[in-house]
Amino acid sequence: MFIAVRDLVYAKGRFALMGLVVALVAYLMTFLSGLSGGLISNNVSGLIAAPVSHFAFQFDDRPTFRSSLVDRGMWEGWQARSGVRHSEPLGHTSFNGRNQRDEPLEFVLWGVNPGSFLDIHATTGAGLGATENGVVISRLLADRGVKIGDTITLDRVLTELNVVGVIDEERNYEHTPIVFATLAKWQEATYGPPGGAPPGEKLPDVVFNFASVVALDLEPGVTPEQIKAADSDLGTTTLTREGSFQTSPAYQVEVFTVAAIQAFLVVTSAVLLGAFFLIWTIQRTAEIGLVKALGASNGYLLRDSLGQALLLLLGGLVVGVGLGLVSGMAFKATAAAGTPFQFQPMTVALSALLLLVAGLLGGAVSIRRIASVEPLIALGRDR
Amino acid sequence: MSLRVESVSLVLGDGDEQVRALDNVSLSVAPGELLAVVGPSGSGKSSLLAVCGGLRRPTSGRIHVADTEITALNPEQLTRVRRERIGFVFQQSNLLPALTVLDQLLLTVHLRGTTPGAADRDRAMVLLQQVGMESRSKRRPAELSGGERQRVGIARALMSSPSLLLVDEPTSMLDQGRGRQIVSLLRGQCHEHRVAALMVTHDPDMLMYVDRAVHIADGRLEQVEVARAAH
Repeated sequence: MFIAVRDLVYAKGRFALMGLVVALVAYLMTFLSGLSGGLISNNVSGLIAAPVSHFAFQFDDRPTFRSSLVDRGMWEGWQARSGVRHSEPLGHTSFNGRNQRDEPLEFVLWGVNPGSFLDIHATTGAGLGATENGVVISRLLADRGVKIGDTITLDRVLTELNVVGVIDEERNYEHTPIVFATLAKWQEATYGPPGGAPPGEKLPDVVFNFASVVALDLEPGVTPEQIKAADSDLGTTTLTREGSFQTSPAYQVEVFTVAAIQAFLVVTSAVLLGAFFLIWTIQRTAEIGLVKALGASNGYLLRDSLGQALLLLLGGLVVGVGLGLVSGMAFKATAAAGTPFQFQPMTVALSALLLLVAGLLGGAVSIRRIASVEPLIALGRDR
Repeated sequence: MSLRVESVSLVLGDGDEQVRALDNVSLSVAPGELLAVVGPSGSGKSSLLAVCGGLRRPTSGRIHVADTEITALNPEQLTRVRRERIGFVFQQSNLLPALTVLDQLLLTVHLRGTTPGAADRDRAMVLLQQVGMESRSKRRPAELSGGERQRVGIARALMSSPSLLLVDEPTSMLDQGRGRQIVSLLRGQCHEHRVAALMVTHDPDMLMYVDRAVHIADGRLEQVEVARAAH
């Protein structure tokens, strides 16, 4: 890169301008990565944190947590299969409710068996099972002012829940905070009559035979064929935990939107760099002819040109990604609680790599032009 | 002979547009000799330079540079011959604007696939000293006069120790005084480095400062008597 490096120094204004464009694109990509990571985390953080490998839904081509209904036979059937470490019912219902200050609350109620592998550990306060009506809330609801000791009354069904613990982490589904209750309390609220069982009576046993999905912890060696066979026998549709993210329509839309913006940025970057290097090459046509006349091979000039593009891209990426990370962290520190923003190192690295490859492809546009320059133009008459 | 041109013809264009740029041209240049080819515009001077430098393939005839018949080589081999056996001095010097004077010379080393070392720098400085440019080694072309650029162009052409120098109108952008200086310098360097030089020029006044001259018109050569100046 004998000529490339000297060109970069000599025409520093021009290259700095192009480097700035690369840096701005890299900055946007990095910031979007943080937004994308934050959205994913905020949307399905409850699923991400769940200690499960798979969820078994009621048989459906497009299963969802809202519509799925599983019975005792399914979770017990799954538990009996080989390679299944844990199989537990999980209840999932969206509720509106009000606290004792009559403030409206929207949340997803998850029912889990205390002591099971799904049981959660409250950061402060008590866990599940200490009291019949006790629930544990997650950070988003705590940030909205709900605290230990509060009573939440569910709309329509009028079930009363007492907040006994708080998890100091986000546990959401579709950006809605999850409230953890015992499975029995969830079953009562979901399938029981408004207000619960009449005084002195118990709810019928059948209420306690249903849940939304079966949460599974499978051994790593369990094959897709084994899962398929179990699904066929038990009438379930099983998704991996990551696959279950897709059950949230908002998740799909958000991921697609951010990915589309990032793809647009990558293409823009490639086109801009391609145009820049093509114009740069056209301007240097006489020089290229001269260096060829002096004995430079096409390979020499192409290496020099791509090396120049690589240096420009690396410089722009370091500045852009660096600024993106710094400003992203500053944004997260100063933004309102619950603002979805989270960097994932792998995503940031992949975005940068994608930009690098796209930029080099853009830079490669000028290859044909370089190869076609005739050394003859170095002679005065033909220039 | 460092350059031997045997019955070379060059036809350009197709059909009715055909032009015979060189017509059965033969010449030779010995090591240490500066041969001038003088003629008006369109006479075939640049075409002769182009075929001798492997920049254009003649329609017929053979050209030898040192012991190599360049008319029998493929493009890759021609590129290598240009890099290792031929030095070019272009009209307007044709220096790369981003490179310093010293780097213009070191580029020829880099083109051979070698990272320039201390010995290369020393040799470059010696050549620059010989053309009176050692004090300008860190300047870029934009900071040099036309004559200075031509001096750098001559030093660059000699850097790869070529067998043949091909010189394209070196005085076209210079006044008479500077033009004479440049051609004299060129001749001195040819003698000192024992390198053959073929210079094309439209300026008959320069013939006094060369070893031998030929006239070209309509692609044909004729010998010219050279009235040598007191060098």
